[in-house]
Amino acid sequence: MTSLYVYAVLAQRPRKQIAGVGVARERLRVGRYGCLFAVVGAVRAVPTVSPRAVRAHDAVVRRVMVSADAVLPVRFGTVFHGRAALARSLAERESALCEALRLVEAREQMTLRVYGDAADVTPGEREIAGAPAHPVGGAGTRYLARRALANHVPALTRLRPFLGALVVAERAERHGKPPLLASAYHLIPRGASDEYRAALARAEPALAPLRVRVSGPWPAYAFTPGPAA
Amino acid sequence: MRQPRRTRAQELLATDDSLLDVVDHVLNKGVVLTGEVILGVAGVDLIYLRLSALLCAVDALERTSSR
Repeated sequence: MTSLYVYAVLAQRPRKQIAGVGVARERLRVGRYGCLFAVVGAVRAVPTVSPRAVRAHDAVVRRVMVSADAVLPVRFGTVFHGRAALARSLAERESALCEALRLVEAREQMTLRVYGDAADVTPGEREIAGAPAHPVGGAGTRYLARRALANHVPALTRLRPFLGALVVAERAERHGKPPLLASAYHLIPRGASDEYRAALARAEPALAPLRVRVSGPWPAYAFTPGPAA
Repeated sequence: MRQPRRTRAQELLATDDSLLDVVDHVLNKGVVLTGEVILGVAGVDLIYLRLSALLCAVDALERTSSR
């Protein structure tokens, strides 16, 4: 029995057929599911995780982006047993998917890894994050302060004046495992990655002693809706 | 000599991103649909523990080579 391996959800049918093959060297197809479209491949077995497979998955999503403006990548390994099951799943999440598609339309993602020592987070930056070094108030205030600090990426405060209007949306994760302190994901207009890298290079002196490593442009992997409740 | 500006398609398709970054994006991000997903929770956790350690190692290597 064949199953449908899903690569991406789209707002519109791509302008041309998606070239190449998928993770199992299968032909790629675009199907309509209600008001959404999905790029799928028919696979006989569920693909296993391997360097070749994850790169193949990413390559398909990138090729889709070349001929479609609003693309949401689907997580590796998502397989449905038949078209009806996929249609049901997309219908359940239609509202959140449509909202995310509007956000990512004509945009792409840049990824930053922030490296440094944990001590590089200054008390001043804690306050900027809404978390004073010595939180006062009730348990609720202290909880919110801890949560704000947990999601705060220190380098981003210093980067914002340089990146300015290039960044349409931002997601950040703190890792808390020095030297890898955090990852940040920026949604920027498509075609603006060279401008973004140039702005980042200008910002480097202001970031010291923190270091950042940039990669991209990526499909908007970090700007997809969270898992369904 | 000035480098010719890349087209949008070239920027997207000629990626030299590291396998670690690809793994982080493809396995850890993206739309989660209620289909069959082949990675068990324990497997994912294991991958990310290693991924985090490897990303740290990449930074250490880059600093060593730049000295």
